[in-house]
Amino acid sequence: MKCEESHHFIDTYLDGELDFAQQVELEQHLANCPSCQSLLEERRAFRAFFVAAVNEYKAPAQLEAKVLAAVRREPAKERFSFFRQPWIYATAVVAISVCLALRILFPDAEKEFSREAVLLHSRSLSTSHLVDVASPNPVVVKPWLTARLDFAPPLVGSPAAGFSLVGGRVAEIENRSVAALVYKHDNDVVSLFCWPPDKEHLAASERSIDGYRVSTWSNGQCNYVLVSKLSDQAMHDFTDSFRVQIQSGAYL
Amino acid sequence: MREQQARFEELVLPHLDAAYRLARLLVKRDEDAQDIVQEAYIKALKAFEGFRGGNARAWILMIVRNTAYTWLKKHHADHNVIPFDEAVHQPPTEESLSESSYEDRLRQFREALARLPVEFREILVLRDIEGWSYKELASALKLPAGTVMSRLNRARQHLREEIAKIQLRESK
Repeated sequence: MKCEESHHFIDTYLDGELDFAQQVELEQHLANCPSCQSLLEERRAFRAFFVAAVNEYKAPAQLEAKVLAAVRREPAKERFSFFRQPWIYATAVVAISVCLALRILFPDAEKEFSREAVLLHSRSLSTSHLVDVASPNPVVVKPWLTARLDFAPPLVGSPAAGFSLVGGRVAEIENRSVAALVYKHDNDVVSLFCWPPDKEHLAASERSIDGYRVSTWSNGQCNYVLVSKLSDQAMHDFTDSFRVQIQSGAYL
Repeated sequence: MREQQARFEELVLPHLDAAYRLARLLVKRDEDAQDIVQEAYIKALKAFEGFRGGNARAWILMIVRNTAYTWLKKHHADHNVIPFDEAVHQPPTEESLSESSYEDRLRQFREALARLPVEFREILVLRDIEGWSYKELASALKLPAGTVMSRLNRARQHLREEIAKIQLRESK
């Protein structure tokens, strides 16, 4: 390292910011160069003066009291607390009353659809009229249904382990043609009714009607009502993986 | 809320000297520096909710810095002129001319410092007084990493030149 370079690096060296290789080089140079050595000492003294000069700027005695007074006058910004707002409660009371009123005037849609679905399901079992198109293959079932409906129902061949498609038929719920997809799980027959939500999206619900387990949900494209005598475990297997397959586009 | 206030005082108030020193170096005049510190502390209190632990000193210093910059902009105050400061404006006495005492040298440093552009004063105090690393300087001052070293070198060079000028003037 030449003196010129060493001059350039001395302050950075004192800052402790040279990389290791540069530091070693500079130190080697310093060891053999009295003039750079004395420059180093000069710079070190310069810093000491700088620090001493600046450190004489001390906060005046009254500043702390002034700042403290100002800070205490100024209350810390209170965290906005949702639950501390009185209007939240007023709004909640109104909202709940409106919901209750609507429930009384317009009974639970999920319940109505569930009832109808249970009727359709049990009738199809008692008449042994499960399906109009019988095939485990969505490629067969889908076009058949689509031709007879005003929408294309999403077809999942095997929604979950142990479930297989039996086929489909067209059914009527609330004066509307819907797709009825029938699956088998061991000896259990599962009916899945689906239709595009014209007016309302079904909320997620589960209930028992006449010994059947009924689950409703909607994903925006379709309302679904599932009827079966499955265990809750098996029913959740079905609904969960069905949803996942629809969401991930794994359907026909 | 009480606890928050108490925590603020406990964490931030001890850095009042550092805050004042930085403000004083940036805006130069004592009263202005005091105003800035006060304003910065009020701002800090309001923003304290957003302070998620860490270095309270660096945090308050950056608030002081931003407050000082706003103030400087508003007052178009940074002309790098020698400020009216009693310490600076005392004409050198006969003794001080004959020999540069320790006190004189300190005064010369402060006077020279006041002539530097604000960016130089700022980086010098943060590096040499506060001991920030180049990395910390780069991120706090929003400088590219390579700029820190060159700015520091230029600031020190500038300071040395100003001191030399003052010494030359005073020795005449």
